[in-house]
Amino acid sequence: MRDRAFRRYVERLAGSARRRPLARGTVDDDQAAQLRAAIALRAARPGSGTPSEEFQTALHRRLAAEFEPPATAEAAVSRRRLVQATSVAAASVAAGVAVDRALPAGQRGPANPGQEQLSPNAGTWRTVATSEELAGGAVRGFDLGSVNGFVQREAGRLVAVSGVCTHLGCRLVLSGGGAELACPCHHTAFRPTGEVIRQQLPERLRPLPRLAVREIDNTIQVYAPD
Amino acid sequence: MAGLSRRQGRKGEPVPGATPRLRVISERAYPDWEAVYRDNVGRIYALMFGKVGNRADAEDLTSEVFLTALRPLRTEASVAEVRAYLSVVARTTLAAYWRRTLGRPVTAIDEDHAPLLDSPPAEARARALAQEILSGLPERYERVLRLRFLDGYSLADISAAMGISDTNARVLLFRALRRAGELAERGQP
Repeated sequence: MRDRAFRRYVERLAGSARRRPLARGTVDDDQAAQLRAAIALRAARPGSGTPSEEFQTALHRRLAAEFEPPATAEAAVSRRRLVQATSVAAASVAAGVAVDRALPAGQRGPANPGQEQLSPNAGTWRTVATSEELAGGAVRGFDLGSVNGFVQREAGRLVAVSGVCTHLGCRLVLSGGGAELACPCHHTAFRPTGEVIRQQLPERLRPLPRLAVREIDNTIQVYAPD
Repeated sequence: MAGLSRRQGRKGEPVPGATPRLRVISERAYPDWEAVYRDNVGRIYALMFGKVGNRADAEDLTSEVFLTALRPLRTEASVAEVRAYLSVVARTTLAAYWRRTLGRPVTAIDEDHAPLLDSPPAEARARALAQEILSGLPERYERVLRLRFLDGYSLADISAAMGISDTNARVLLFRALRRAGELAERGQP
């Protein structure tokens, strides 16, 4: 940074105004060293380490808007969620598929908090099992090429979930006598309905996305991308 | 985060004979994100202020850390794990800040998680560091830096207090800072 701009930067830093120092260009070794000293000295001014009440309240409000669950599932459909969910979709299924909660009316399952619904832009109903195969609470795996997953009947309702771990995309394996979907990579396991049972990671994993599923003429069909 | 468990003993006791990089405070967990926020907002802010030296940027970076960290955070994680995770997020956030502003890592958050977990808190450490820098300087240099940075005097106030012109106060200030920079570099490991 030119001398003049650098001095202005330091002056802003030393001042008590709320205006931030302006970076005009990169700093050289000498300037970086001076800046480190200036920052150290400025941070030693009494009160420097205490955030203002005003800031804390404003940030709290912003985080609450971001992380408190919205009042209704419908209200949760927002562009932000859609964009955020797309990385998981990209890891798990072929292109042309987005994950969101917006499904045709009547196909909506009892979504758990945070559980997304996988609904491709263009798809077809594909048969993955017969009705008899799901008798007695059996869980059936399926692989349709573009998506793979598991389907079962839970309390009389059909549930189909993606078969790809929401952490890093490893393919889940049915285990625990059909009671869980285990990830071979990091000791993560999900219920066949998608909820996380256990994990070793400090981040909170998302439940498995659900797929639209229906029963027709004694066959179980999943709505999957073409 | 893979190394986290290695440094902890059973039930969170520090590993005997080793200096754990992560000091485990407790196995208790936070009840919700608000508790994570309330307990750590002051720590993160102080940590950031100590690294960027101004309020506006410290506020922005603190916001960025919480917005990034709270989303994937599993609150069943212990307090120590959450804080360690926050400091990792803080470290990458600060690195990105310097990359996009001055093009080099002027300051950094150490890879060990001490800044968030250890006492004394960031502000006390900042005072100690400032004292170390000032104590190595000639008296006039020390005075001008102290007045400007620690006491918040304007250049006009300084020239009045030291009986010199505004221009000389400015020249003195930047000479002193250059010298302080040299000293601080020598003091670095």
